[in-house]
Amino acid sequence: MSEKIKDSLFKIWIILSTLLMFTVVIYIFGYIFKNGIASINMEFIFGDPKGIPIGSEGGIFPAIIGSLFLMIIACIFASILAISTAVYTVFYCRFKKIESIIHLIVQCMAGTPSIILGLFGYTLLVLYLGLGRSLLSAGLTLGIMIFPYIEVRVEKTLREIDKSIVESSYVLGISKAYTIFKLILPICKKDIISAITLAGGFAMGAAAPIILTGAVIFAPIPKSLSSPVMALPFHLYILTGEGISLEKAYGTALVLIMILLIINIISVVLNMRGREHS
Amino acid sequence: MDILTTNNLSVSYGNRKVLKDLSMNIMENKITAIIGPSGCGKSTLLTTLNLMIEENGGNFTGKIFFKDKDILSYEKDEIRRRIGMVFQKPTPFPFSIYKNLTYAPKYYGIKDRLKLNSIVEDTLRKVGLFDEINHDINTKATKLSGGQQQRLCIGRALTVEPEVLLLDEPCSQLDFKNTANIEDMLLKLSRDYTIVIVTHNLSQAKRISDYTAFILDGELIEYGETEEIFTNPKDNRTKEYIEGIYG
Repeated sequence: MSEKIKDSLFKIWIILSTLLMFTVVIYIFGYIFKNGIASINMEFIFGDPKGIPIGSEGGIFPAIIGSLFLMIIACIFASILAISTAVYTVFYCRFKKIESIIHLIVQCMAGTPSIILGLFGYTLLVLYLGLGRSLLSAGLTLGIMIFPYIEVRVEKTLREIDKSIVESSYVLGISKAYTIFKLILPICKKDIISAITLAGGFAMGAAAPIILTGAVIFAPIPKSLSSPVMALPFHLYILTGEGISLEKAYGTALVLIMILLIINIISVVLNMRGREHS
Repeated sequence: MDILTTNNLSVSYGNRKVLKDLSMNIMENKITAIIGPSGCGKSTLLTTLNLMIEENGGNFTGKIFFKDKDILSYEKDEIRRRIGMVFQKPTPFPFSIYKNLTYAPKYYGIKDRLKLNSIVEDTLRKVGLFDEINHDINTKATKLSGGQQQRLCIGRALTVEPEVLLLDEPCSQLDFKNTANIEDMLLKLSRDYTIVIVTHNLSQAKRISDYTAFILDGELIEYGETEEIFTNPKDNRTKEYIEGIYG
């Protein structure tokens, strides 16, 4: 076979793969949109779930708010730890060995199945620490899940900073801590926020970690960190799993997917603006 | 009077020796040029003088005295404040000009807005940027031209009121006009500051420096008044280097 034919076959293969993936994504969106749009109305978005069994009528407002709360808690918890870890590995860790151990741990965490994280959260947070099945337990478990994603991206951003800019701060006699807080983190701010929002979207869509740690079939909007909480992915799972209402399930899926889409778009926009400036 | 003295200074990165037994006195409020071929250890000498060498994984033996006191008896941060440094490539922080110039003063506890403003204005005047930027101190520093960026970086180094200024080939990436600008500025600054400048450009050394040191393969070959070095070099290697570039 001549190189030319190989080249064009390869080209066709790449184009077909891309098209196939696009079609799948568009099909999923289209299918959910087509089936879910019928149940979307003001009552569905801003109402409480009603009916017997519960969820067969009414809305999903507590689940939307619950999911947002879970995302916020997970993001706060995970980003504090992830940024600290990244700063440590890039600016403080002097031994290659410790650095590679940290990387190994982070990779293992990223590879841990989310249902296992759910079980871990249940044992440690719910039972051992006595936090109960609550917004806090579920949020922290989600935080553990997204920690590695934030850490990896923040670490990459920190490594990409021009070393001579960091050194220009040191040669002014300025301490490392001030350099990190006033120079490095502000420079990376946009990339870091984009990493956090993306991970937040991931946390919001996860059902497995929260099944055992805090998500319930019905609860009002949580009043405190120790209240149990409704969440969109779990609600979706119950609606379909228990065969309560397929129509409402599609509606819930549509709402979830739209929120995730918005979060992803925000993240991409932030990231693009971050590039412009650097 | 000498402000910085090195005594049998040797510097190495791991097993690689970069500077060997270097002893020289740097005179206060004078411009000292350090010349020599690439890789001879000029920049290493600068980074040793403000102890940045340790940050880069090198170490030194021998003694360095700053104002007649062993440099190691000072806090590292204090040495770096009093011995400022500017790199070859302009490294403005990607913030506004104002923020670039107040970054360090704020660290040293200056919070008063009027005081900060006057530091910014004084500094911009010192480095000749004040009129060029049209009072627009909120412009992003990365939007300035290369020469302006480098002058801003020199200004930033001045905001912490150093006594010595180390410059590592500050003009190597600039055109003729910007180079002339910076040279004028350094001549003015040398009334108040001690300046040590590493340069590839022999005519630059000749134009602005009072003293010149020639380093070759990590050894100080010759050190003395610039005029003397360029018109009447004692060592043959110095002569060859100077003539080689001209011829």
